[in-house]
Amino acid sequence: MAAVSEADFLLASRGVAKELGAWVAGAVFDRAGRLAFALADGTLHRHAEEGDWPVAVAHEGGLLSACADAKDGWLSGGDDGRLVRVAPDGMVTQIADYRGKWVDHVAAHEAGVRAAAVGKAVHVLGVAGAALKSLAHPSSPGGICFDAKGKRVAVSHYNGASLWFVGAKEDKPRLLEWKGSHHAIAFSPDGTHVVTAMQEPSLHGWRLADGQHMRMSGYPTKTKSLAFTARGRWLATSGAESVVLWPFFGGGPMGKAPTELAGGDEVMCSAVACHPQHEVVAAGFGDGLVLITEVASGKVVPVAPPRGSAVSALAWDAAGARLAFGTEAGFAGFVDLSRR
Amino acid sequence: MADTDTTAQVPVTVLTGYLGAGKTTLLNRILSENHGRRFAVVINEFGELGVDNDLVVDADEEVFEMNNGCICCTVRGDLIRIIGGLMRRKGRFDGIIVETTGLADPAPVAQTFFVDEDVKRATRLDAIVTVVDAKHLPARLKDSSEAQEQIAFADIIVLNKMDLVAPAEADEVERMIKAINPYAEIRRSTKSDVPLDAVIGRDAFNLARILEREPEFLSGEDHHEHDSEVNSVSFEVSRPIDAERFNAWISRLLQEKGQDLLRTKGILHYAGDRRRFAFQAVHMIADGDYIGEAKEGDPRRSKIVFIGRDLNRPQLRRGFEACQVDA
Repeated sequence: MAAVSEADFLLASRGVAKELGAWVAGAVFDRAGRLAFALADGTLHRHAEEGDWPVAVAHEGGLLSACADAKDGWLSGGDDGRLVRVAPDGMVTQIADYRGKWVDHVAAHEAGVRAAAVGKAVHVLGVAGAALKSLAHPSSPGGICFDAKGKRVAVSHYNGASLWFVGAKEDKPRLLEWKGSHHAIAFSPDGTHVVTAMQEPSLHGWRLADGQHMRMSGYPTKTKSLAFTARGRWLATSGAESVVLWPFFGGGPMGKAPTELAGGDEVMCSAVACHPQHEVVAAGFGDGLVLITEVASGKVVPVAPPRGSAVSALAWDAAGARLAFGTEAGFAGFVDLSRR
Repeated sequence: MADTDTTAQVPVTVLTGYLGAGKTTLLNRILSENHGRRFAVVINEFGELGVDNDLVVDADEEVFEMNNGCICCTVRGDLIRIIGGLMRRKGRFDGIIVETTGLADPAPVAQTFFVDEDVKRATRLDAIVTVVDAKHLPARLKDSSEAQEQIAFADIIVLNKMDLVAPAEADEVERMIKAINPYAEIRRSTKSDVPLDAVIGRDAFNLARILEREPEFLSGEDHHEHDSEVNSVSFEVSRPIDAERFNAWISRLLQEKGQDLLRTKGILHYAGDRRRFAFQAVHMIADGDYIGEAKEGDPRRSKIVFIGRDLNRPQLRRGFEACQVDA
């Protein structure tokens, strides 16, 4: 990217960005496409077309995780032990208080269910805020995610992952075992595979139909961000000096080499986000560079120039028209790719 | 405008000690002293901590094995998670204090700071401080391997409850401590009353300071009346070290005996290099770097120290001596 001038980045012509002053823990579009940036200092900044971006104080301490809430608005967990909802108008409502414990991870599904990882438990809550169940794990969860239908929640932890049916009468997980500590977790869009990122650093996957193990290794650093492309053909991952994509077709990823895109700058990829319709992947790097790359052609479009701080948050809106990003140093923005 | 620097490493102090030794008292003392510094404190159960400006994090000790073919390579999963969270809000505190449970083996905590890339990038291990009970330590050393390990890993030992022992008893306890770990600095105290700067900001894991403290061997190299399974040996050689020979020897040694070798430290003078090479290891996990030239006129002697179990002194000595260039 060295030869690219500032003006060549989409941010200059089609974007907006600001210094928000704290680590961007999440760039989150709510279900209606409203954009907010959740910062590690406990605040949530909502994008506004005109004037300042309104700030909601979601947590007294640090904010650890944020996602789109089930219906609208945002959901966040903090080191103050609180699970909080921020409404589209910025109103903050406490959904639960697990005082003394950190709310490390949050997830929600439009089917009307929320999940929060607190200590070694994952609490499942309804949209009205009622606690539905508490799922116990052998160690603290490293990540949680719902499947595409919101029927199952997958939880990564030490020595594997647990798969729970949210609506089950009896809570007994399907244990996906693999020795070691598992963090970030992703469900394939069709719900047939679960993949985790490990401490080692490598990935581990399970084909749910027959429990087939999949080992994906070779990363120089830990993968923190992983996402399947829209139809689940590719798994895009951070943790290398390029965007590493594993093929989930034609018998892969077992025995197949991954495809590497947008490499060559000797900077680690720190975040990935897959376009909701096309086989296009957005990637953020350790120096703040944001780009978009097309899997088939490998073509790269620069989005935001490097500013020195790693990209810590990256997200597409549901239409695939806007791409939002944020860095560890608190620089956050988005580009609008829709036809003009 | 460039983004602000987020690379400064936050110092971490690990506070260990057997049950009832006075660890919580020391922690309270650190936190309540009027020093103007703010700490994030990772503890295992909420005690009666007097904290105002400090952030207290309640954690379960989660010891994870690494999948790297090294059975003794364990890390604290909870620390990796917590430090990851804390590091997103740098500037909120000046240091981190990790209190371990009384029965904890300090190795996983120490190894976390060598093994995890994010923890390594964001923090540096400042010192392992072990609080021991002067009255009861002799009995603990006999019946608890954890108590021995806590001494073996310590950079600073707070020899507490001095009011409960006679001077001769205290001297005997110090002798037992030094037999295990001659490199630790011992601070005698009553009710954990040591000055803050005796335990915080010590930079004890800095390679450049690794063997700065000369050990106080009480009886030369001949203290063979062992009070505990854990002991220490150290060797010095005068001819320069052959880097290849040393690397081959130390890698094989750590691989084979790493479980018994709790801490290894060394300062090496390689042949043909004016700089000194500092080396340290926790079990099998090693770290090393050049630390600048020796002072003009100083003898270029290389030195290595092992703290561990079942140390075969003659074998280790022969191994280290054979790393020298041929005479």
